[in-house]
Amino acid sequence: MVEILVDEDACVGCGSCVDDCPNDVYKMNEEKWKTEVVNADDCMACLSCHEICPAQAMTHKNIHVAKRLYIDRRVNDVLERII
Amino acid sequence: MAIQEVTGTFKPELIPKETGGDLDDYEDALHVLMKFMGSMSSALEQVSGRGANAIVYQAGKRMGHDAAKMMEKTDNLEQAMDEMGEVLGHEFYYRMWKPAGQENYTIEKGDETIVKLLFMDCVVRQTLRRTGLPQKGPLCYLLYGYMVGAVEEVMGIKGKVDVDHVGPNACLKTLTIKWGGK
Repeated sequence: MVEILVDEDACVGCGSCVDDCPNDVYKMNEEKWKTEVVNADDCMACLSCHEICPAQAMTHKNIHVAKRLYIDRRVNDVLERII
Repeated sequence: MAIQEVTGTFKPELIPKETGGDLDDYEDALHVLMKFMGSMSSALEQVSGRGANAIVYQAGKRMGHDAAKMMEKTDNLEQAMDEMGEVLGHEFYYRMWKPAGQENYTIEKGDETIVKLLFMDCVVRQTLRRTGLPQKGPLCYLLYGYMVGAVEEVMGIKGKVDVDHVGPNACLKTLTIKWGGK
């Protein structure tokens, strides 16, 4: 089962994930003004929320991570050396 | 970096045993193909507009029919999906999907059966990310056509695929088959 963690310190409460999620997995907690997970069972791990979150506040556990063959390993090696 | 030329003896053979390359060569070839496909897709869209989708869809459909020719024919949608998953392989790894509150994967609606498909690994998506193109473009229609072609071949009936949602890690699609139509 998918486990979703939202870093409350990082979440800026923009609500982008709430709007973007097709399965209503998230809801805005209006007291804290932070995103909360209300329906993790319906998460299909598309990770649109990761892409749209400006604070990178999400972590998904126990999901199928798609292959990323588009990444150029040689470019990554160079970047790693620089960073 | 200087390109190192490979020299050696070549004998004609029916089934070559050696590929003449290593993993880096495969990676280079894959990336060149991805860029090539991305350029073709955007050029096609520029020239043909929305007609590009139809062209790519038709190409995918033909591929789907060809891929599924050797598959066992069935009128069971779930069985067809399992069989097709094996043919499409790990590069188009998908599974049927349903919301937690729904009992079955398939929904009957009049003379139609609907099933949601979650595509997790997809070469098309990777190609789009490699070339910086948006999802849901003409190249995605290749996969829609592929699925429809394969379903039509296996089940002998008409089908269509609609996209529900696209994401960087998975895409949700709806496959609808219409009973009694060919």
